[in-house]
Amino acid sequence: MRNNKPPSFASRIYSVWYRHMRVYTRHLFSNGFPPFMEPLILLAGIGLGLGKYIERMDGVPYIQFLVPGLIVAPAMFTATFECTFGTFIRLEFDKAYDGMLGSPLTVNNLIIGEIFWAGTKGMFFSFAVLSVVLVFGVVPPHSYIFTPFIGFFTGAMFATIALTFTSFIKTINHINFYITGFISPMFFFSGVIFPLNTLPSSIRLFAELLPLVHSVRIVRAMATSHFEIHLLGDVLYIVLSITIFGFFAIQRFKKRMID
Amino acid sequence: MSSIVIKVEHLHKTYGPLKAVNDLSFEVNRSVCHGFLGPNGAGKTTTMKILYGRNQRDSFPSSKVNVFGYDPGQDELQIKFFSGVVPQEDNLDSELNVHQNLEVYSKFYGMGKKAAQARIDELLEFMELSEKHKGRIRELSGGMKRRLSIVRAILHDPQLLILDEPTTGLDPQVRHLIWSKLRQLKENGVTILLTTHYMEEAFQICDVITIMDKGRKMMEGEPQSLLSEHVEQFVLETRNINPVSPLQMKFNRDLIRLDDSHKLPMYYSNDFTALKNLSDQLEQKEYNLRQSNLEDLFLKVTGRTLNEEQ
Repeated sequence: MRNNKPPSFASRIYSVWYRHMRVYTRHLFSNGFPPFMEPLILLAGIGLGLGKYIERMDGVPYIQFLVPGLIVAPAMFTATFECTFGTFIRLEFDKAYDGMLGSPLTVNNLIIGEIFWAGTKGMFFSFAVLSVVLVFGVVPPHSYIFTPFIGFFTGAMFATIALTFTSFIKTINHINFYITGFISPMFFFSGVIFPLNTLPSSIRLFAELLPLVHSVRIVRAMATSHFEIHLLGDVLYIVLSITIFGFFAIQRFKKRMID
Repeated sequence: MSSIVIKVEHLHKTYGPLKAVNDLSFEVNRSVCHGFLGPNGAGKTTTMKILYGRNQRDSFPSSKVNVFGYDPGQDELQIKFFSGVVPQEDNLDSELNVHQNLEVYSKFYGMGKKAAQARIDELLEFMELSEKHKGRIRELSGGMKRRLSIVRAILHDPQLLILDEPTTGLDPQVRHLIWSKLRQLKENGVTILLTTHYMEEAFQICDVITIMDKGRKMMEGEPQSLLSEHVEQFVLETRNINPVSPLQMKFNRDLIRLDDSHKLPMYYSNDFTALKNLSDQLEQKEYNLRQSNLEDLFLKVTGRTLNEEQ
């Protein structure tokens, strides 16, 4: 029965992911229902109210303009909460990482597992929005079918950024700065609610630096099946962010946990 | 059977200006329970953490750490794979129930589902927790949590078990239960390292103890022989009830040693009659004449005054 080799890298990452999945699905209803509720409320609000004032945006009915952004924005929010509050609590209050580091896992495994989990949650949240808009027939299904994968990468990207931030903070209250100062404004300036090309050019340049912009642009391209070469830049942005911030997060947590 | 499985030579660990571990060397034999005693801040926990790669030692060429043939600086995963760790602070997953906590850890150890299930049932039984297997962590008592932490650490049948103050804050029944379980594990071949500041714990389950203070090893050996070699057999403890200090008592300095570094003087001697005669100068309520124990040794070695960490 005794195996004398520790589990492989992949199974270690999977075991960390599995731990998060077990914790999340333990409260299946309270965790799994709201992601479907949120888009319902949004659609109702727009259908009944806002949509009456704004009929078209960027040449399409407003509701159709909104959907691509609404699919990836929840992935950003959920990954952000998971890897700020969630991570900080596991690190400092529950000491869950302390226990895990007593088993055959390294800091590297913990962080990569965390990123995969946040990506999975991002994909689930994107999927939830997609199912709601499909049920209401707001958008045609065929062009949207793969968009939850962009939710995965959006989640993973925001996880790495949030983890890097969380690795520096000393109290949980510092997270408020990150959320109100960085994440919330991003929702408004990433081309989710209005197109960026109407912004003054200086602000537009700044907006190009925001991570969510690139996720939204990819989903929008998928939705219209209109792919252009500059989309590669958006893909590159996401891949590089995950790699660079992921690397920093691992280094920072190593320093913080193994002194 | 007495093969060396852990060998530590000239271990140092510095945190800023603080020398947490200062030139520590020791060896541990297979299937032995080795206890580390010392006041808070003596460097016990740091030493344990270095052994399983949770802390990094200072890099001196003369520093060597070997745990079952592996160096924790490089083979952290290997060591953690055949070791179990019970931390000082309980860190069970409060979001999962008892059984799920163990199931998640069985995955960390790469155990198959069936094997894990059988092992979990067996160990919950062993630690007398079977009734609680669906219990919430928040509803468990301190003793149950600690027992569950031990179950979690021995799920994968480790060869080495590291316990950091396993019975601190627990009631006597639970402590005795834990001690008896640890003895059983040791009989089954598990090597046990533990830190404690309970002398009784060291006496009950440790085959060898190392007394540490300020990062240094002060003394090492079997509890019984350390005691007989370094402390007189009997103690007369005094309690100052009368305004007349027991310090003013007359006694033979060849037979009796006085320790008055604390407020209340203690008289040590191998000659019971001498102490008995001395105690006759006091009233019944003012003294306690007893055999010396490990605590006397501990206080003799580490001093009676508090350090800044205590």
